[in-house]
Amino acid sequence: MLATLADIFLRTNQVMIGIMMGVMFILVFINVVTRYIFGFSFATTEEISTFLMIWITYIGAGLALREGRLAAIDLFQDMIPPKIRRFFRALLGVAILLFFGILAYYGVKMVQFGWSQETWATQIPRGIPYLAVPIGAVVFGLHLILMFGGWLDKNWIDSPVKEETDMLEG
Amino acid sequence: MVAILLITFALGLIVGLPVAITMGISGLTAVLIDGRFPPLIVPQYLFNGISSFPLMAVPFFILAAEIMTASGLTGSLLRFANDLVGHIRGGLGHVNVLVSMLFAGISGSALADAAGPSAIVMRMMRKAGYRPDYAGALSAATATIGPIIPPSILMVVYAISDSRVTVAGLFLAGVVPGILLGIALMIVNHWISIQRGYLFRSERPTLIHLVKSFWSALPALLLPFIIIGGILGGIFTPTEAAAVAAAYALVIGLFVTRGLKFQDILPVFIKSGVVTAAVLLIVSMASIFSWLLTILQIPQTIATMIGSMTGSPSVVVILLAVFVLICGLVIDTLPALIILVPVLGPLSDQFGLNPMYFAIMIVLNLTIGMITPPVGPVLFVVSTVGRIRMEALSRTIVPFLVAELFVLALVIAFPIISTALPKLVGITH
Repeated sequence: MLATLADIFLRTNQVMIGIMMGVMFILVFINVVTRYIFGFSFATTEEISTFLMIWITYIGAGLALREGRLAAIDLFQDMIPPKIRRFFRALLGVAILLFFGILAYYGVKMVQFGWSQETWATQIPRGIPYLAVPIGAVVFGLHLILMFGGWLDKNWIDSPVKEETDMLEG
Repeated sequence: MVAILLITFALGLIVGLPVAITMGISGLTAVLIDGRFPPLIVPQYLFNGISSFPLMAVPFFILAAEIMTASGLTGSLLRFANDLVGHIRGGLGHVNVLVSMLFAGISGSALADAAGPSAIVMRMMRKAGYRPDYAGALSAATATIGPIIPPSILMVVYAISDSRVTVAGLFLAGVVPGILLGIALMIVNHWISIQRGYLFRSERPTLIHLVKSFWSALPALLLPFIIIGGILGGIFTPTEAAAVAAAYALVIGLFVTRGLKFQDILPVFIKSGVVTAAVLLIVSMASIFSWLLTILQIPQTIATMIGSMTGSPSVVVILLAVFVLICGLVIDTLPALIILVPVLGPLSDQFGLNPMYFAIMIVLNLTIGMITPPVGPVLFVVSTVGRIRMEALSRTIVPFLVAELFVLALVIAFPIISTALPKLVGITH
């Protein structure tokens, strides 16, 4: 049950990132076309696509962690014995959770603060785009908790794209 | 506050926290302990640091390269490179260099190259009998061409951090240094192949065969020209050019090469989104860090220090080059760029240096830092993908490293290498 929920969470997160990426791409591409053909473009699309990019970054950061895409320097960890290393990485994991916890807290404050202001082009409350930071922080924390064993042993998940192995033969 | 910021940063890096998170943690810790600024500014800087339309060129360039690869176009580039130089002595080594130069035209990241075409040629080289550490070292070295030949994620971020230069200017300025890098690596590969008696070469292709493989690689070869031509012609901004590049890749993949199926599209967009998140998280977290450095007047202090040491521009350039190189040894490339550009950029004005020349010097310098131990992200990727020990890799890469440093020295000594091409089309910054 819990495993299925965790799986749904992962899959939903992935699909969300893919869709946001697609919408951002379509918005900017349409703007190029309309400006080139009709000679005008929309300031609102520029703003919305920028916000989407920030959302992709924060909502996708947890996925980047799970796929082992967040670069770190392993020199020190490689020098200590594996058992101690697991314990050590557990401590680091807790430190990261703490950081994202604090970030989520101040992120919520930022959203509250931004709720009364409007963005310059779309004129929606600034709090809406700001939500990316606290929500992203929570999503990141959830991913780290769900993969905690994987985090200890650096067992990452695969990207949904299959890598090409032997292109010369292909 | 300076002490807290720098100590937590160094500590985080040493214990092996992800680099992006290290910068966030040190920034937040410094703000919380210092107490002069409301902690609310931390999420605000994280948000504003990536709230930039020009920065969106980064996800679109990532997307374009991913679509190209999923469409099988990277494979076409590889076959074309193999037909072109595979029959020379040390052939697969030269293929490794050439495919990186070609792939650099569709991708703006060294890591994408190291994990993509370079990793494939590395496997091919090992199968053909090259020593694993040699194949790995060459693959790592060639990957650094990616951010020098346009498009380039590093250059996009540089142009956002420093208003004295434009993306178009930097892209053009990178072309000649990128080609020089390729030539230098080919010379070293040729020399070592003779020393070690690597003779492995493939059959010389027939002319018809060569024309065929050129034809199938052509859609990928055209991409850099569409991007640069579009920007220079004033048709699109760099961000739009990157989106057009992605659209072009989609059309080619779906309807021309037909290597891309409709059901592949969502996974490719997901992967590009996740890679984007990993890159932009660094940009976001680095912005709080570099803002704190600026508030603490670190850039001004360093600038005054260097300025008081000498008045000669050429001495300054050499001092800076060494300083940047040392930073590149211990800090990851992208964070180093975001931290250093506001620090060093003003110096180019102070000493009357061409900002475009200055930018290429820094980008090339930091890119070389990607293959220098102890902190060489490209070395890490190659070591992981190829299961080669870091020590072996770090030793074998030395001759390639020397060759790249030689190119850096040339680029520093002769500004014309970087500035001539942009000037030719009338771009001065």
